[in-house]
Amino acid sequence: MRSGILLKQALESYRSDADVGPLPPPVDTDSLLNTFHPDHLRGSVVKLGVGVNAGDSCQRDLADLLQTEAYIDEADLAGTPVTDVDVLVIGGGGAGCAAALAAAEKGARVLLATKLRLGDSNTVMAEGGIQASIEPDDSVQKHIQDTLRGGHHAGNPSLVASMAEDGPDVLRWLIHLGMQFELTASGDLQTRRAGGMSASRLVYCRDYTGLEMMRVLREAVTQHRSIEVWEQSPAVELLSNEFGLKCVGAVLTSLIDGQMRIVRTRSVILATGGLGRLHLNGFATSNHLGATGDGLVLAYRIGAKLCELDSFQYHPTGLVYPSHLSGKLVTEGVRAAGALLLNANGNRFIDELQPRDIVCAAILRECQEGRGVRIDDERVGVWLDTPRLEQTQPGLLERQFPNLMSRTKGSGLDPRTQPLLVHPTLHYQNGGVIIDASGASTVPGLYAVGEVAGGIHGRNRIMGNALLEIICFGRRAGYAATAKRDRGPKKVTLEHINQLRRALTLAKMPMTRRAPQILPAYAKGGLWTR
Amino acid sequence: MSTATHEGDNRTHISLTINGLAVDVTAGMTLVEAAWHAGVPGITGVGCLEGVCGSCRVMLRRDKVVSVGLACQTFVESGIEVIFLPAASAPRHHYDINDFKDSWDIHARFHSIFPEASRCRHCHGCVGACPKDISVEDGVALAAQGRYREAGEAFFECVMCELCDVACPELIAPAHVGLFSRRITAHFHLRPPNLITRLEELRQKRVEMGEGERDED
Ligand SMILES: Cc1cc2nc3c(=O)[nH]c(=O)nc-3n(C[C@H](O)[C@H](O)[C@H](O)COP(=O)(O)OP(=O)(O)OC[C@H]3O[C@@H](n4cnc5c(N)ncnc54)[C@H](O)[C@@H]3O)c2cc1C
Ligand code: SF4
Ligand code: SF4
Ligand code: FES
Repeated sequence: MRSGILLKQALESYRSDADVGPLPPPVDTDSLLNTFHPDHLRGSVVKLGVGVNAGDSCQRDLADLLQTEAYIDEADLAGTPVTDVDVLVIGGGGAGCAAALAAAEKGARVLLATKLRLGDSNTVMAEGGIQASIEPDDSVQKHIQDTLRGGHHAGNPSLVASMAEDGPDVLRWLIHLGMQFELTASGDLQTRRAGGMSASRLVYCRDYTGLEMMRVLREAVTQHRSIEVWEQSPAVELLSNEFGLKCVGAVLTSLIDGQMRIVRTRSVILATGGLGRLHLNGFATSNHLGATGDGLVLAYRIGAKLCELDSFQYHPTGLVYPSHLSGKLVTEGVRAAGALLLNANGNRFIDELQPRDIVCAAILRECQEGRGVRIDDERVGVWLDTPRLEQTQPGLLERQFPNLMSRTKGSGLDPRTQPLLVHPTLHYQNGGVIIDASGASTVPGLYAVGEVAGGIHGRNRIMGNALLEIICFGRRAGYAATAKRDRGPKKVTLEHINQLRRALTLAKMPMTRRAPQILPAYAKGGLWTR
Repeated sequence: MSTATHEGDNRTHISLTINGLAVDVTAGMTLVEAAWHAGVPGITGVGCLEGVCGSCRVMLRRDKVVSVGLACQTFVESGIEVIFLPAASAPRHHYDINDFKDSWDIHARFHSIFPEASRCRHCHGCVGACPKDISVEDGVALAAQGRYREAGEAFFECVMCELCDVACPELIAPAHVGLFSRRITAHFHLRPPNLITRLEELRQKRVEMGEGERDED
């Protein structure tokens, strides 16, 4: 058994009216991050050995996937049915739907292929809101500055500028499609100020912003005459021209019957989202089931350059218990409303409203130094003191956080009387495929938009910029992909895979494992253990 | 305060069937976890695992009583039969919001797109099916009366599982009636001054800089 105070004991000594002690004096944040943030865990980062990013730092589990054998080879392509379209969009979350709609607006025949059901995505789960500078005391310039500062100045200023400039028009476009937002009494869009913002800039739809966005986009896509949707159809490989230098399509597999299909096209828009379900460094995740980083693998193999592969956002407050919600978020709003974080001794240990990476590192420090609450060998956390919040502001939890209340209800856990056990959870991929302002990757014919793309958030994303990014660059890529009117591919090949195999062999890398992952192992119909 | 709730998974044995397969699991698991644990093949109608994507639709039979629900939000029980439902079929009601230029004829349009909506027989089938306790039937009635804002509000927590559509004997497609109501409310009536002001400022700036109008949509 590892260190920490056992749950039973910790619960017995917990009192919602106990003195929590003074906040300890602030520590040097750099050393806190360097010692405890998962990005800095010893051995968690390696150098890539093959591909366009060879020599760059990359998280270890991700590196294993980027440098692996493919599922298919040329023999598999023979006799496989071929479909021709103008634009192929891979991924049915917010970014993919926006791209498909934009391309269709311009008259393209679009095929949108997605792994699970259309809308099964990280987008649908977003609660907080979307950023756009619309208040009189705010400006596009401030939005740019906040985003760059939040990302520790590692973001690409021109991408950030495109995103911030598009913000207001993205809202107009979403409203035109039928998305609702919270309004003030005078009919203005209601805004909130969240961590890292110098003005009130977060617009939202109660705590269901992503659900509202996704169901509108989903309906708009399914209703559109020139968009065809294939569900349960993950992409397992991209296709290149005979020189392996240009993306000309993709190979899709059906999860229902295993049937493969070739799609031939002028432009492929990758919108496959994030990778929380890879459980990097053994962390639980807030992400949906399909977030397995497939897009990074596919893009890397065909030669697209990636960035910030060693930088991930861990949300400080993921649930440890109940087990079926392990890793699921308790929104930052609960801390903003005044809930404290307490260690197993019942003491505060960090200013709860510090940036996410710092709060995350502080929680991990408490757990590692024996001040965590431990359920068993694997599960440890700290208290999020919801009963104290309820005591000081009766009724607040039910009024403002119905989502949290209804989720815990089924398990006999009542946040009003029992503190929640929380631990950092893998939340967001900060980097990804390098793109330009039209969403184009470094490989001709291949675009990447949404969480799979990188360069906007630098090494840390501030709240509300992801939902903006997916629509902004989704639309831009949809328009750009349609504007290209060459004659389309003559030959579709796996030449880039042949090149990859040669590189792996030369580098003496094992070729036993295959990627992309598609589904986490526990959901592949095998034995599942918690 | 007991630790039992936190420790939760008291290791009680539970037997049930999922998609016809007999399955042995422990109490405290959801139906999705149970299906994975037992290796039931082909469980791909799963997304968020927290009750917001509406994908994990199941039909349950407890002592001959049949109901529907979301598998990621339903815990295992002894003796129940569970069937994971296939994804919903393609929509039967078609419209393109870009075709709506005039809000005065929206009532006529609604009834031509959703002709069945005025034929609700008040069977409560949709209400019984909804895992989110939405007053689906009332929402449909409001839409049929042209009260789209209120109808849409009734569907605020809808997760698009379309279980109400399956339950409706009149093929009204209540989930889509709800979404239609929400969408046209925003499309025609959301005109926030702060947003409009900023859009105009940005447009003028582009004109000054000689970038001209945007051609996008
Ligand atoms: C719980 C939670 C809360 C959040 N809250 C906020 C918030 O308040 N504000 C904010 O701005 N951001 C928030 N985020 C982040 C934001 O929601 C996501 O970054 C964003 O929605 C990603 O959109 P996307 O379209 O790029 O990816 P997704 O929405 O994840 O969509 C990707 C799609 O691609 C599909 N796919 C994956 N692999 C393949 C394949 N091989 N072939 C075919 N299809 C594939 C997936 O199934 C999925 O449908 C939150 C994220 C989470 C998880
Ligand atoms: S209204 Fe219909 S689609 Fe929406 S949650 Fe209820 S049953 Fe599901
Ligand atoms: S199921 Fe259909 S017919 Fe029955 S009450 Fe609901 S909407 Fe009306
Ligand atoms: S998996 Fe999303 S509602 Fe169950």
